[in-house]
Amino acid sequence: MFYIQPLNRLRKFFHNLGFWRSTGIFTALFLSIILLIKIAIAQQPVTLNLLMTAPDADPWRQGLVKDFESKNPGIRINIIEGPNATNLIEDLYTSAFILGDSPYDLVNMDVIWTSKFAAAGWLLDLTNRMTPQELAAFSPKDVEGGTYEGKLYRIPLRSDAGMLYYREDLLKQVGLKPPETFEQLMNISKYLQRNDKVRWGYIWQGRQYEGLVAMFMEVLEGFGGFWVNPDTLEVGLDRPETLKAIAFLQNTVKQGVSPPGVTTYQEEETRRIFQSGQAVFLRSWPYVWPLANQKSSKINGKIGIKPMVHAPGQSSAACLGGWGLGISKSTKHPQEAWKAIKYFSSREAQRQFILKAGYVPSRRELFTDPEIVAKYPHFPQLLKVVDSAVLRPPIAQYAQTSDILQRYLSAALTGRMTPENAMKSAADETRRLLKAGQAKKPA
Amino acid sequence: MTKLDTIKSREQRTGWILILPALILLLFVYGYPIARALWLSLFTQNLGTELKPVFSGLDNYIRMAGDGRFWQSFWITSVFTVVAVLLELLLGLGIALVLNERFRGRSLVRTAAIIPWALPTALIALAWAWIFNDQFGIVNDILLRLGLIKTGINWLGDPNLAMVSVIIADVWKTTPFISILLLAGLQSISPDLYEAHAIDGATPWQSFYKITLPLLMPQILIALLFRFAQSFGVFDLISVMTGGGPGGATEVVSLYIYATVMRYLDFGYGSALVVVTFLLLILAVAIASFLLSKIRKRLSGVA
Repeated sequence: MFYIQPLNRLRKFFHNLGFWRSTGIFTALFLSIILLIKIAIAQQPVTLNLLMTAPDADPWRQGLVKDFESKNPGIRINIIEGPNATNLIEDLYTSAFILGDSPYDLVNMDVIWTSKFAAAGWLLDLTNRMTPQELAAFSPKDVEGGTYEGKLYRIPLRSDAGMLYYREDLLKQVGLKPPETFEQLMNISKYLQRNDKVRWGYIWQGRQYEGLVAMFMEVLEGFGGFWVNPDTLEVGLDRPETLKAIAFLQNTVKQGVSPPGVTTYQEEETRRIFQSGQAVFLRSWPYVWPLANQKSSKINGKIGIKPMVHAPGQSSAACLGGWGLGISKSTKHPQEAWKAIKYFSSREAQRQFILKAGYVPSRRELFTDPEIVAKYPHFPQLLKVVDSAVLRPPIAQYAQTSDILQRYLSAALTGRMTPENAMKSAADETRRLLKAGQAKKPA
Repeated sequence: MTKLDTIKSREQRTGWILILPALILLLFVYGYPIARALWLSLFTQNLGTELKPVFSGLDNYIRMAGDGRFWQSFWITSVFTVVAVLLELLLGLGIALVLNERFRGRSLVRTAAIIPWALPTALIALAWAWIFNDQFGIVNDILLRLGLIKTGINWLGDPNLAMVSVIIADVWKTTPFISILLLAGLQSISPDLYEAHAIDGATPWQSFYKITLPLLMPQILIALLFRFAQSFGVFDLISVMTGGGPGGATEVVSLYIYATVMRYLDFGYGSALVVVTFLLLILAVAIASFLLSKIRKRLSGVA
């Protein structure tokens, strides 16, 4: 065969060289190959891995990432598309971090994961990387949502907050102003329903899931109550304010203001009812606005937004959501990762991103930016909502705490337990949970 | 006398030496994880302690006593197990009796009958989730075409119906296992017994009741035992079909433990949950095998 001859010649050559010399040649060859690979790697751009839900990936790739990479040729952002459900993204990050060497350099975090990831020691402390002046440009609650025990771990990119949508046209017809209190909301609803203007009054999310406690936070704070105080870990679920909040939600169904099925609805079900023109009021997130104002929508141009209603003497509360970026502790490129975060959270990058994708900004000045307002006229009003934001308790064991409240709140709302019993059990379980962690904190 | 003893003891020693590798392996594979879970359950190791283990005695067990979610999931698991295993037993017995008869194409049917058992559970669960889908599911489609319902039923969205759905899927998947096991038992029963019974004037129902059922009892109990232990630890089927929802209505113990460890990172408490579930399961299996040995004794006493 054709390769036998050269092979034989080669063998002869090495035979003539002798053992030591041929070993030397091989070693030299080997080392120079390693050296060449090393040089090649060093000149390769640094790749930063970032996991996010698949629908989010496209707007990122087209806008932010492209601009960043063209400005920083040495850094590439590799966006990994995960499942659509955010809790599955959380699970993927969690298992990657538990196993130790996480493949992700940047961590795209929902506001409620920050405390968990920070307490588990998976994130780099970013406290000293931004001056207080730089941080002041962001909405204060968005920044607070990125801190855990006084240290900053997450830079907010996108904000999100719950609010009240209302049918401006219907209220104008009967000459009423949008409601400020729970009672007004009930009365306006009943009045419009009685006069056959609309089928339902108020639509909210009552299914047992994270959205239920987000909605409940707003009602609870609106009555002056609290869930868990993050500093003292005091639990306020068995206080009278909580029972008042539950009574309000129960009454919406009992008095026919909300449909009985409301205890099985998530965001999308509630939006469909509102968008089909069947309800006056809706509690939801900013994503509803563009959808409800589509050309095909029945309520196109007929709606307004305002901060959530509250009890007399109390103030509005908007449950804060939103996303931000942190840096994984196991990353090999913390400097490059910070550069990326710095760029993504910069004023100009956010501005472009918002104009393209319509997300809610984390920088306050952008809400009143002329170009943005020209495209999204409701943003100044949205700023009022964001300014009334409240955080779900930023404690390490938030996921467990939330699941306890979800179970008992759902039991109370669907009549499987009395509100008193349900909230007593919820408060007791929460206290036991937090005590189990807190009392034995290593000094 | 002494010589006999030495032979016996020598044999015993050889026996021990031969069994030693297996014992060591078992110790590593089963003993170590169990002991480790027991040990870990005495510590608090969660996000509150920044994932560092802190000794806390029986705190985890005290917390468990007041944990409504654990007892709820325990109850759900028990209901799921009892209903599913009983249905599987009845159906499996019926199928085994049919497959034991002679008919054309029997071997083909026997092979086909085991297919559900041979398929991967996660795939089956995905298929069943689609079958029960409220918009595009075939169950709703059939019911709508038959005119039994007016609008699609949200099978996996209603707490009770979701439970029914996962039980149906589980029964479909594991009935073949029971029927194959019982078929083997049926084939070991001598036809002479039926012949003699028939000569005595017994009806088929009487011979089923007097011969088949008692002689099949050991296989039935073994099948029950296997299925009970397996069904109590069900994870993949429910995780894929409902993820424990809606509102925790199908959350079995293994899903709760998974959430406690993987989502809440509450390792100490998760271990305590594992230990208690493990002990309760051991207890149930012990009772079952006690019954099994009792029935075996009674049968051998008759023979």
